[in-house]
Amino acid sequence: MTSTAQDLHPAPVLEPGRTILELRGLEKKYPGTHALKPVTLAFRAGEIHAIVGENGAGKSTLIKLLTGVMPRTSGEVVWEGRPAALATPHEAMALGINAVHQEVVLCRHLTVAANMFLGEETARFGILQQRAMVRQAQKIIDDLGFDLPAHVVLGDLTIGQQQLIAAARATVRGTKFLIFDEPTAYLTRKEADQLFTLIRRLKSEGVTIIYISHRMEEVFELADRVSVLRDGTLVGTRNIAETNDAELVKLMINRSIEQVYHKEHFTPGAAIVEARNLSGKGFENVSMTVRAGEIVGLYGLIGAGRSEFVTTLYGRHRKSAGQILWQGSEVQVNSEHDAIKLGMALAPESRRDQGLCLNLPVGLNLNLPIYKRISNNLLISGAQEKTQADRQIADLRIKTPTRNALASSLSGGNQQKIVIGKWLAHGAKLFIFDEPTVGVDVGTKAEIYRLFGTLLSKGAGIILISSYLPEVYELADTLHVFRRGKLVATHGFRTADHEEILTQALAEKQEKLGGKT
Amino acid sequence: MSIEAIPAEKPKRNYNALFGLTLLALLVLLWVILSVATPSFASANNISNLLRQGSMIAILAVGQTFVIITGGIDLSVGAVVGFATVIAAMLINAGVPVFLAILLTLLVGVAIGLFHGFGIVKMGLPPFIITLATLTSLRGIGLLMTNGNSISINNDAFQEFSRNSFLGVPNLFWMVILVGIPAYVFLHHSRWGRYLFSVGSNAEASRLSGVNVQRTIYMAYTLSGLCAAFVGVLLASRIGIGNPTQAEGWELQAIASSVIGGTSLFGAVGSVHGPLLGAFILATINNGANLLNVNAFWQRIITGVLIIVIVYFDGLRRRGGK
Repeated sequence: MTSTAQDLHPAPVLEPGRTILELRGLEKKYPGTHALKPVTLAFRAGEIHAIVGENGAGKSTLIKLLTGVMPRTSGEVVWEGRPAALATPHEAMALGINAVHQEVVLCRHLTVAANMFLGEETARFGILQQRAMVRQAQKIIDDLGFDLPAHVVLGDLTIGQQQLIAAARATVRGTKFLIFDEPTAYLTRKEADQLFTLIRRLKSEGVTIIYISHRMEEVFELADRVSVLRDGTLVGTRNIAETNDAELVKLMINRSIEQVYHKEHFTPGAAIVEARNLSGKGFENVSMTVRAGEIVGLYGLIGAGRSEFVTTLYGRHRKSAGQILWQGSEVQVNSEHDAIKLGMALAPESRRDQGLCLNLPVGLNLNLPIYKRISNNLLISGAQEKTQADRQIADLRIKTPTRNALASSLSGGNQQKIVIGKWLAHGAKLFIFDEPTVGVDVGTKAEIYRLFGTLLSKGAGIILISSYLPEVYELADTLHVFRRGKLVATHGFRTADHEEILTQALAEKQEKLGGKT
Repeated sequence: MSIEAIPAEKPKRNYNALFGLTLLALLVLLWVILSVATPSFASANNISNLLRQGSMIAILAVGQTFVIITGGIDLSVGAVVGFATVIAAMLINAGVPVFLAILLTLLVGVAIGLFHGFGIVKMGLPPFIITLATLTSLRGIGLLMTNGNSISINNDAFQEFSRNSFLGVPNLFWMVILVGIPAYVFLHHSRWGRYLFSVGSNAEASRLSGVNVQRTIYMAYTLSGLCAAFVGVLLASRIGIGNPTQAEGWELQAIASSVIGGTSLFGAVGSVHGPLLGAFILATINNGANLLNVNAFWQRIITGVLIIVIVYFDGLRRRGGK
């Protein structure tokens, strides 16, 4: 295929305001999870439509359905008046639906130009017209006002710059409907401004933009309309001029909280771990104490430094300054091994990448931290291995046929129970849970929260990291708010309201909005 | 086969035991067909010969499997075998007691394995690269040490060992059992065995669970090096010489045996009995093809086809089983 300068920018097909894409009862069920309950929503041509919602609210599911990555369970998608199957990514792209993901999915080893035209290279007699492609790519980039070279290898750019290239790339393919999934997560403010310029320009050319973000200020800066998802349900769509962030936040997090959050209060005991002015990669000067019997919640946006702080505490990364005190005396935690020996346990954020050996049996996963204890110097005690695994499965109510079933065959919620449950037998004193309920349904959430109570009653302390405010709000005895690598506020149990905490986590929004309106 | 008599009482996965039985059935089927098709196959002499042929690859395949389970590969084992024949021959000819010579040769294998671990863990080299580098350089070092000549071993007792039998079973095959049983216990009944699987499945999750991932990788390659050096000693005994160019291509046979035996090259799937069966299936095919006067070139083709067929069906069942 050849690309010429003419078809680089899509001509608007529909006049703005008409419906370009309509969802009619669009629904997605996974085994054990109802990820998206029937959604009916019409997107107008040439609008910027923001979609907000907490983690697990169904935003990514919606994107996957629209881009053909996954098939829907039921419902209809109507594209320009005609039903569309959207069964494959190819079909979505052929219609003009594209997505720019939070993580850059491009070839890092190829040049910027090669990435721009990947799959649609200009060739003459089978020979790539490399110089022509670089020229074209450079022209596109210059047109968009990005100050980036087209001939360099993509991997040499910063993540933010790569994100801009990914966005630019999405614009050259006859795109009529472009989805941005938290595009600014890794961008600097300047890069984000460049991206916004690009988005507004696409809008003026008639492209429909779906903009997904946790950052309220961006929603108000860019969007024409905003839809709110909560627990897989579309709870409302508003014109941006007729709403405010307080209303959106209410829509996002409102729910019958008492059913899910089962909070037991214990009198805090002695300090288990204390961080004193701890600094490291991604966070600085953080001080906090976790005592026996209490849950310390860390709230903030993704990338605010919460995960970096706990992984440093856990020995994964080196601290650059400050002290860690374990039960009153200073310790050096140089590796996860050190941390586990002290009595820390970490249930990491990403089940797939960090938490589970997916193609191994449930029993092995559960016993992994305690093999030392259930074996003598040489051999594993087969009986103990069985009883330990079976006891965890029963205690945690893990739904699995046997302990020999592969972890990959379980639902997300049950997998998460393994990630958490393997530490119960280990008998750790400090439990760190990083986003323990992402992608987990409400019932499993409640069970996981009940587990917290069990741990606390045994005298353990818990650090709970969550981007889901109600979770930390309802469970944490002490709530620390992180923003851009700093601990910016500390609250007691339910001593601040949601709006105040959100404001502290999002911050700059207030000044910005104030300046605008 | 005695190795099969080890009860697979706790299969890692259900298909593991099933797969082992399928392989065993395949092996028995081959033997039955060959017994009918050729008069000489079922003779005691030929069976002993077959067991001798398969034994050395079988031991290599066990070590190789440990490495593959961690998600790695050890291309050096053939070269280590050749190199070990040289070391053993030189030591024995220098008057070192045979027992000590064997021990030292094994230590050389351990050292090579440790070096592989070092390259992977500390230098960050891919297993393929570091073991490929050792493959070529060990051959070179051996040739330098021997000036390109073979070293005849002046010790009859040492050579007798590989020709003799015990209870009617060739000594070489007893060596498979000697390696196989501890290997089985190690892999399926010790925590280090579990760690091999967990590292191969998800190194990050294992580390976060307190598994010493680096030590596990060192261990896998060290065991592979040890098995290879042991095979080198056996080979030196069998051919009576030390020669660094011996065992050319054995690494590929070991990998093939392992893969036929159900080991996944993506890691975290494997057993001890599988590769042993795989090695003897390959040995049977070669042996049978010889007896049937099949062109030796065909043997290689058959081996290739067999690898594709077995791994394909294994993959099918695994996907279907989910």
